[in-house]
Parts: sequence; C-alpha cells; structure tokens
Amino acid sequence: MMKSTRSLMACVAVLLLLRFVEQSSLAADIPAVNFAREVLPILSNKCFVCHGPDREASDEVRLDSFEAATQGEAGERAIDPDDPEQSLILVRLHSADAPMPPADAEKQLTAAERDILTRWVKQGGEYASHWAFVPPEKEAPEGLDDASPRDVIDAFVERRLRSENIDLAEEADRRTLARRTALVLTGLPPEPEQLESFIADESDGAYERYVDELLASPRFGEHQARYWLDAVRYGDTHGLHLDNKRGIYPYRDWVVHALNRNLPLDKFITWQLAGDLLPDPTLEQLVATGFVRMNPTTSEGGAIPEEFQAKNNFDRVENFGTVFLGMSLTCARCHAHKYDPIPHVEYYKLMAFFNSTAESSLDGNKYDYAPAIKAPSRVDDWIAWAEVEAARDELLEQASDLLSEKTDIDPEIRQAWSNANDQERLVMIANEDGPFTGHELQGPSAELSDRIAEFETTFTTTLVASELPEPRVTRLLERGEYDLPQGEPLEPDVLAVLGGFPSDAPRNRLGLAEWLTSRDNPLVTRVLINRIWQRTFGHGLVRTPEEFGLQGEQPTHPNLLDWLAVELQDSGWDLKHILREMVTSRTFRQSSAWREDVDDPENTLLARGPGHRLDAEVIRDIGLWASGLLDSQRGGEGVKPYQPKGLWSALMHPASNTKEYIKDEGPQQYRRSLYVYWKRTSPHPMMTLFDAPSRESSCVRRSRTNTPLQSLGLFNENQRVAMARVLAEHLLQQQTDDKSRLDRLYLLLTSRTPTDHERSVCLNLLQTEQDRYAAAEQDAAALLTTGDLPRDAALPIVEHAAWTQLTIALLASDAAILLY
Amino acid sequence: MYDPIYEYDLHMTRRQLFGRSALGLGTAAMASLLGTDAAFSGDAPVATAGLHHPAKAKRVIYLFMSGGPSHHDLWDYKPKMREMFGEDLPEHIRDGQRITGMTAGQKTLPVCPSKYKFTKHDNNDRGVWVSELLPHTATVAKDLCVVHSTFTEAINHDPAITYIQTGSQIPGRPSLGAWLSYGLGSMNENLPNYVVMHAKTNFAEQSLFSRLWGTGFLPSDYQGILLRSQEDPVLYLSNPPGVSRNDRRAQLDALTALNSEQHQRYGDPEILARIKQHEMAYRMQASVPELMDLSQERDETFELYGEEARQPGTFAACCLNARRLAERGVRNIQIFHRGWDAHGNLPKEHESQCKDVDQGCAALIKDLKRRGMLDDTLVVWGGEFGRTAYCQGNLTEENYGRDHHPRCFTVWMAGGGVKPGITYGRTDDFAYNIADEHGQPLQPQPNRKDWTPGTMHIHDLNATLLHLLGIDHKRLTYRYQGRDFRLTDVHGHVIHELLT
Repeated sequence: MMKSTRSLMACVAVLLLLRFVEQSSLAADIPAVNFAREVLPILSNKCFVCHGPDREASDEVRLDSFEAATQGEAGERAIDPDDPEQSLILVRLHSADAPMPPADAEKQLTAAERDILTRWVKQGGEYASHWAFVPPEKEAPEGLDDASPRDVIDAFVERRLRSENIDLAEEADRRTLARRTALVLTGLPPEPEQLESFIADESDGAYERYVDELLASPRFGEHQARYWLDAVRYGDTHGLHLDNKRGIYPYRDWVVHALNRNLPLDKFITWQLAGDLLPDPTLEQLVATGFVRMNPTTSEGGAIPEEFQAKNNFDRVENFGTVFLGMSLTCARCHAHKYDPIPHVEYYKLMAFFNSTAESSLDGNKYDYAPAIKAPSRVDDWIAWAEVEAARDELLEQASDLLSEKTDIDPEIRQAWSNANDQERLVMIANEDGPFTGHELQGPSAELSDRIAEFETTFTTTLVASELPEPRVTRLLERGEYDLPQGEPLEPDVLAVLGGFPSDAPRNRLGLAEWLTSRDNPLVTRVLINRIWQRTFGHGLVRTPEEFGLQGEQPTHPNLLDWLAVELQDSGWDLKHILREMVTSRTFRQSSAWREDVDDPENTLLARGPGHRLDAEVIRDIGLWASGLLDSQRGGEGVKPYQPKGLWSALMHPASNTKEYIKDEGPQQYRRSLYVYWKRTSPHPMMTLFDAPSRESSCVRRSRTNTPLQSLGLFNENQRVAMARVLAEHLLQQQTDDKSRLDRLYLLLTSRTPTDHERSVCLNLLQTEQDRYAAAEQDAAALLTTGDLPRDAALPIVEHAAWTQLTIALLASDAAILLY
Repeated sequence: MYDPIYEYDLHMTRRQLFGRSALGLGTAAMASLLGTDAAFSGDAPVATAGLHHPAKAKRVIYLFMSGGPSHHDLWDYKPKMREMFGEDLPEHIRDGQRITGMTAGQKTLPVCPSKYKFTKHDNNDRGVWVSELLPHTATVAKDLCVVHSTFTEAINHDPAITYIQTGSQIPGRPSLGAWLSYGLGSMNENLPNYVVMHAKTNFAEQSLFSRLWGTGFLPSDYQGILLRSQEDPVLYLSNPPGVSRNDRRAQLDALTALNSEQHQRYGDPEILARIKQHEMAYRMQASVPELMDLSQERDETFELYGEEARQPGTFAACCLNARRLAERGVRNIQIFHRGWDAHGNLPKEHESQCKDVDQGCAALIKDLKRRGMLDDTLVVWGGEFGRTAYCQGNLTEENYGRDHHPRCFTVWMAGGGVKPGITYGRTDDFAYNIADEHGQPLQPQPNRKDWTPGTMHIHDLNATLLHLLGIDHKRLTYRYQGRDFRLTDVHGHVIHELLT
C-alpha cells in the first residue's frame, strides 16, 4: 500500500486546525474565517510576491507558513499566537505611516480583504493547507449517502441555488436536449433516425438509453480525444525550426481507441507515462508512450544538444504539471515557486523522471526520430489488432502449459522458447520439426502467424519512449540555465507538498504514474473531473483548469468537485460512467436560456444549462456530416483538406518537408477534423480562426472569441461552400418541396423544425436568391463549381444555387454553430 | 423595435464592467475591451491617452529582418578589423563565450572585415556611419535612433526569434503584437487591429512561425491577421464565385433575423456580439479591397517607394500598405522579411536583401513624415540577433559568411517619441562585445535587476516600445496559470535616453 503517512498527518493537522479556528472564533464572537478559502488566496495574490515561499534566503518576513510567520521575539512577530493583538501584521495592515502592502505596491488590499486578514490574525492566525493539496473526500449531502451520482450532483447544485433563493431551470425540450447531449458526447448532432426514435420513446429511461447509445458510438472517442490532444500538445510535426513531419499519428488513433473502449483513466495515464516500463508491454502500451515524446523538438543547425536536453525536459515537466496536476511549475524552473510551496530543487527532482529517456535531444529532422516502433495505422485497426492479440495470447498460453507439462523436451528448446518473442513462438509452434509436431495447435499457429505478419505490413512508424540503460545525471540548474548545473546528482522524486513518493514504487516514470494514480494524490482526479465537467457544462467547477495552485480560482462547488473526484476513483476510473452521470443530471438537462431572475452571466451558479459557441472541429464536422460527405475512415495519416495557397510556403525554410501544402484528393479531405494535419507552426486556418491552439504548448481551456474573420470563414471558405452545395443537392434530390427541404435542413442542424418566423426568413432569402440567379444563370453556375465533387446535372441550376446560398447561411447561423 | 446591436451595446457595457472580471481578465484587458467598445459605439477613440501614461506613439510599424542581418556590413563600422584581415579573433575578445554548433568545430575564427564602404552621415548628434548597402536609409539618418548595443542570449533562429517576439525562447507565450492588440484596443472598426505581412525575398532561408504573431494563452482574437499578396489579401475575404455583395447582404440580413430569434430565445449576449462581427466582416469586404487598391496613389508615391511597390508582396509594397493601414487607423503593423541568415555568400545575399528593403524603409519614413504621421508612428527595424566578426567557411576579400551572434547587434527606431538622429550604445573594435566609451567590454546581465547603461537587451527594447505606446510593460499583464504574465517576463528596462 502506498498511503503516505505524510499526507495523512497533513489531513489530521488540517482538521485539528480548522476545529481550533472555529473554536477560537466562537470565543471572539466574530465571524469565523476559513483560512484555505478566504485568507490564503489573499496572502498568495497580494503578499507572497515579497513574503512568499521563495524568500528562504532573505531577511524578508515570510507569511507562507505558521512557523515562518511566528518567528522572532514578542513584538517582532508577524503573527504572535500568544498575543494576537500585538502581531506585526495587524500593526502594519492599519498603519498610516508604514502601511502593508506599501503605498507604491502594485497590488493593494481591498477593505474586505483587510478585514479578513485582521479577523484571521485576531483569531490566532492559524494556517491550514491549500484546499487542492489535501486529498478530496466524498461527503454526500445529508440523506444522500446511497444516492446515484446524478442525484448527488443535483443536490450539491441545488444547495448552492437555495442559498440564492432560486431553483434549477426547467428542463430543456427533448429535441434541444438530444442535440446538446449528442454534441457534448460525440461532437456531432444526433442522426435523424436516432433522434426520432428517442423522441418517440416515451417510456422510462428513454433518455438514459439514448445517452448509452451515444457513449457506445465510435464517434465518442473521436470527440473526447480532442481535449486530451490539446492538453498533451499533439501535432503531426516536430514543432520547431524546420517543423518537419513526425511519425506519431498511431498515438492519436490509440487515444481515440482507448477512450472508445473506456480504458480506465488510471491505466490511460500509466500507459502514456510509462507503458514501456510495464512488464512485457503490449503494443498499445508502447504506442501510448508517444505522450512522453510529444514535446516540440528541433534540429536547427548550430543547436547545442545539452541546451535542448534541458529545454525538452522543461517542456515535459511543465506539461506534466498542467495536464496532471493542474499547476504551473514553470516558476520553479529558475527559483523557488513564488506562490506554491515548491522549492527550486523539487522541479529538478521531478525532471529526473524524464531525463533518462533514450531519444537524442535533437530530432535530426527525421520522421522516425528514434526510438520508434511500427503500429496500427488506423483507429479501427486497433480493434482488429486487439482480437488478434487476444487469440495469440490464448494460443501461446495453451502452448506454454503444454510445454511445461512435457518432460521430454530438450532444454535448448525450452531455452529458445523462453527467449522467443510472441511471434517467434508462433513460428516455433507451427514448425514441422519443432516441439509441437503433430499437435492441433500447429494449424492455428501458422494461420495466426501469417495473419499477424500480413497485419504488420499495414503498420506505420510511431515515436515511443524508452529508458537509457544508465540514467543520465540530473542536477539543479541555476536560474534554469542548462550550462549552470549545481550540487549533487538528484534522485527522481515528486513534489513534497502533494504527498510523498510511494515507498515500494520504482524511481522511474512507472513509479511516477503509480504516485499520480494513488488515492492519496490530491490533484489528479480533481483536475480530470474538472476538465470533464468543463467539456460537458462549458466551464469547469474550477474556472482556471490550468491552475489549481494558490493562485488558481476557488471551485464554484468545492464539495461537488471533491465528491466526483473520489467517485472517479471508486468507479474504477470510469470515464463513461462519470459522463453518463453528468449528462443525466437535472443540472445538465436544464434549459440554457438566460434567466430574468438570475444575475449570473458566467453561470457560476449553474442555474441554466450549457451554452456556447462550438469548437472549430465541431463546426466543420457538422457541415461534413450534414452534407453526407463525412469520410467513414477513422484515423490514419493527418489529412489535408482545402487550404488557401501559400500559407506554408510563406513561412517555411526551403529545406523543410512541410513547406508545401498539397491538398488531398478524394474522400480523406472530408475526414473528421480531429484528423486534419496538425502542423504546429502553422495549423489549418479554419482551426485557429475558431480558437484552436497551436499545440506547441499545453492547452486545457480554449478561448471562445467572436471575430469578423470567423464570419468570412463561415461564408466563404471553399470547403464550407462545397459542403453547402452538396447538402443543397441532397435536399433537392430527396425532398419534393421547399417546406420539407427546409424541415430536413433544420432537423439536421437543430434537431427540430423551424419556427414560423425562421421559415419565413429562410423562404424569403430563398426567393430573393432564386430571382437573382434566374436573372444571371452564369453566376449560379459559377457558385456551383466550388469544390471537387461533380454536380448532379439533372438539378435545375437556379434552384440549386439558391438553396446553396440558404444552406451556407444556415450552416453559419447560431442555431447550427452553438451549443444550447 | 428590437435592435440587436443596441441591445448588445447596452448589455456589454454592463457585462464588461461586472461580468468579465469573473473570467480573471486583468485591468488592462478591461481597458482594452472598453476601448474597443468605444470604437464600436461611435465614440471617438482616445488613443493618445495611453493605457498607463500618455502615449508618444499611436501606432507601431515593425520591420522585422528575419535571419539576423549583419551589423558588420550595415551599421557597425569597424575599420580596425581591416588591419587584422584573416587573423584569428583574439582570444580575449571571445572570452570563452559559447558559439553555435556550426562554427564551434572550425579550426580558426578568422577576423572578417566588411568589404563595404561606410560613410558618415550627419544626424542630430555626432553622425552615424552607414554602409553603402543602404544608400536610401542613409538619407533619413536624421530621423533614425540607431542602437548598436542590442543583445540577446539565444544563438539559434527558432529560439531567438521566439524570444524577441514573445519574451521566451520556448513557444507558448503571446507575441509582442498580441500584447499590443490586447493593450491598445482598436481605432478602426473596418479593418483588423493587428496586421502582419510577409515580404518577398530571394533567400527564403529560415522559417517563420505563426506563434510570432499568435496569442499564446491570450484570447485568440488578439492574433495577427495576415495581409497576403496572393489570393485573398485577408483569408476568405472574397465571396465565392457567383456570389455578389448584394447576395451576401441578403444572406446576412437573413442571418441577423435568425440569430436575433436565437437571442430572444436564449438571451446570450454572445449572440449579439457575433451579429456585430458578421457586420464588421461585411464592411471589411469593402474596406480591405479599398486598402489594397493602389490606383489612387500618385506616380510620385512610386518614385518614393520605387516601382517595386507596384508588385504585390514586395517589401516596398508592404511598406506602402503599412502607411495606408496606418492612415486608416490600424495601430499595430508588422512586416517580416526573411533571408538575412548569411552563413556563406554574405555579400551576394545581403546585397539582394538590402536592395529589397532599403528604399522601402526610407520611403516609409519620409512618407509618414510629410503626412505629419511620423511624430506619432513608431517605426522599428531589426532582426533576432547579429552576425559574427569572424568568418564562417572560406574567407576571401570578396566573399565570406558569418555565423549567428547574439552579443550585440543593431536595431533602429524612428518617429513616435524616439530621439531622432542619434546613435546609442557602442561595441568593441570587432563589434563582438558591447563596450563602454573606452572600448572596454561591458558585461550586461539580463537576468539581474540592474540595467547596464548603454545596453539594450531585447526585453529592454520591448519595454521601451510598449512605453512609447503608453503602456507600462510591468503592468500589461494577463493572469494565466496563477501568474500575471507579461511580455518582458520579470525583466525589461525602459531606456529613457532614447526618448524625446
């Protein structure tokens, strides 16, 4: 077991302290101050810049711990627990001559903050741990100990609402809810048939069944994977200087596959961090370690290897911090962290976990920047591969049993068997002159061996992690300078404030993963839950998903966050379970209309359902899907849809192998946006226009902006016009009159029929455009040439052009591009 | 009558004051957002007020020479090097400083004097030496503030250009331009606020990266908008074939009606914000072609900028565009010109490069000046580092190459509150180290709080630039991962000696 006594003691200490604070406040008869939620954020934001944990060596008063703040003789102590009224803090807080913060400080205290600090010191100035550094506990609201998670979610939300005297909003209508849920879970609207059968199903549990269908859809993993790929900064190129192609897309496809098969998230994490260090790792586990290789790399002429060994590691450590701990560790690269209790040296102890991977620090501008292996080249191949592997494992187990039962086996053969890899063993079994001659396993082995060999011809290169036989020496780097190593070699270790390293775990990436996924880790499940909540409800419970440290925002619903974090562990790290409970909650099912009776623009109370503009990928995918163009292949090499000419060549080095963008021909240009080629120094403009990050560094929250360039992209981008033209063609072919065409279009994009007003607006536009193109058929013809696909020449040209124009507008409309 | 735009303005004012702060945006962003809003609602923008103090410059045009122009061959005249032609660079000059992997293996580091003739041009101080490669630029010597003592730590392109443009050698931070858009707001509702151009070159060596005008962790609407010389000048600007402006108007009218209904149903003010953006896009479809249409420019313009300015995408054309953008209220303009990375054949390459940029630079300054715009337009010229005093590869009288050199390089500024006609900082006899007035090397420490007079670290350059635009580089912050980030990290010193 890995329960560290340290964190246990911390918990106990916190509980005791909190009780103490409560009691003393009762005694003083002034409102009790909650240190972690009220005081610590003020200290961190306003005081630590001069009196924080990085002031170890200076004479400055330190306010980051009780021990530090109570140092010195009576009368000199920042906090005097024996005589709180004499605490220096109180004197300086209210001093006119020598105020704190000083008059010229950038950050001044508000009156309310001054009051909180005053009350806190008067109540004894006790400290407690920052909330996020204490492991979460599962405390259900009263009477709900055995309730389902969805009810617990609602109870926490309603408890908060009741304090404002409001209720949850009414439930969204079923069609709106169906669209919302499908978009949240799969990134696409519901298929019309699926939608109608849900609407028609009036029996109990209809919505739950609908949710289960969506969770089982292969589109689920494709959509959910995007968030992970943003966080780990997945790209198809190395990212620096030449920004050459990199062999890594099997990793991306594996992420989709892993999410679709609901790989428990603790394994999902462990395989990515340390799959190569697991005993006898599977292909999946190896490919997953592509995560470790995701940092941007260079091979610029003149680059100094030692410098990039350090920079690559900085990148990994800091990405690790953001993705798993929800914390910036960057401060500690150069000095002790300004706000969080992370000493300088701990950054480098953490870095030691990553400093011994086997790749060279410069990528050689190579696609197969070693170490690399061969792996399945499409998402669905992983499914087929899993079957093959299972068959092989079963067969080999039988063979092993047989072999151990036999007593008359030549020891050399026995030795050869134990040295052989799986494929070699299959060949040994099938061998006519081998130990299995005449056995019934021979036929299936030969067959399977051939099948695997054939399968492997479709495999492609992917970068993986492996460990050097002898670890590199890691030392603290002064000011983060690669050429200023200081002190003794460091053993890999984790951040002390987050609990100790498990005593029986290996000091390598595998041990690091064990620490992350242990029940004692205070952050990982909170951070994961927060991001899952964010992609479901539009905002996280912690509105700074990238920062859970002292400078991060407080959770809007702290107990709910903690409850779900523990529930994630209790459920066996089951992502689909968590999502199912979230989307079936009444909180999620509320109408997303803004309420007259609630003044809460950012929806921190959760008194309405989610509502926001959809992500770049989803906007494009909806158009492809509605027009029937969406390519059915999942995964494979990054695809290159239409892109304006010259965007890459205007930037790239002549020696780069990504200086020319060559558009794909054929169906792959209509593959889901997740698979669009991600060149990190110049991603596709229809992605970046709609707030996709560059994937040069971690992104766990995209901005959501509104710009005129988005409007231009929505109306004029070649592929969008092509989608609209093809969709219009289908409407004209499949429906007989304009009313039913419009109904169909609305059904696809909004899951409902148009209102009377919408209908009249649309038909009015249609009429305008019909009249206009009737008078200028050459314009209609010109419009209909957009894109690669041939047009159904049987369709009347004017009508087709007018419908294309209407479809373009509807695809750009908020009813289509928003979640609501 | 229901007017979505009016509703939006009403709502946003309130929302920005009370709502946005919940997103964790800093006060700078508030000011910036309110500034934008003021422009939208038709109030006169107050550009010169500055965000933190009165601004000397309303706008900036940054002429970025990517690859590292040779200060030896353009700006930093070192006659003594001629006497040491081909001799090994004295050990004490290099003083153990690291050099790139490209010349680290060379047996010798032969002193490589410039082959070009330098002439001293009058300025408002002691005069400035300019190479014969820049005859046009030399004619505006009295307007230039030439800084010989710019320096950086990065010695390779990708880290160095990322450093000078984002304040960090590792990607992920907002670009200078994005910080400026964030801090300055907008003066124009028909054109993008931050425009980036890529000028043509014969030597497209070295890469550029979208991070150089990207937003890092700032909201992505502060990103630089490319003004291109091929296809649409702004991405997706043109309607599809067969779609007229009237068609688009009809589509947008329908869209507004539909989106207004969406708004009435859901009440989300973002819907109204998008309606405004669609309208601005429609206006841009008129204003950008008007911007790019040079037919109203008189012949005399092309005498000034050169006939090349008629060819879209040339540096001269970009400079002319920059002036036209500035006239139309665009505050934040960058031109990237590649091809300065002359490891070998420097004379051939730099002659071509200088021919590309020289006349345009001079013309831009003269043009701004005669229009009375130079006073409040800051023009900056420079690259990510300089080039070595020693030769890379074979050294002859006629041909040579130079490796990257971070320890000193030349940047000039003009207009917008910088002292015209001065030089600042000096280097040793080999233009290798920044030196004091006696020629003794200075050891400026970028990581220390103390600024070394006479030097300009790239953080100092950026701090000074922001200062001129009315922004305190220490107060233009954005909270990300719990930290108030800024362009200059924890460094940067405003060099008041350069300011009027």
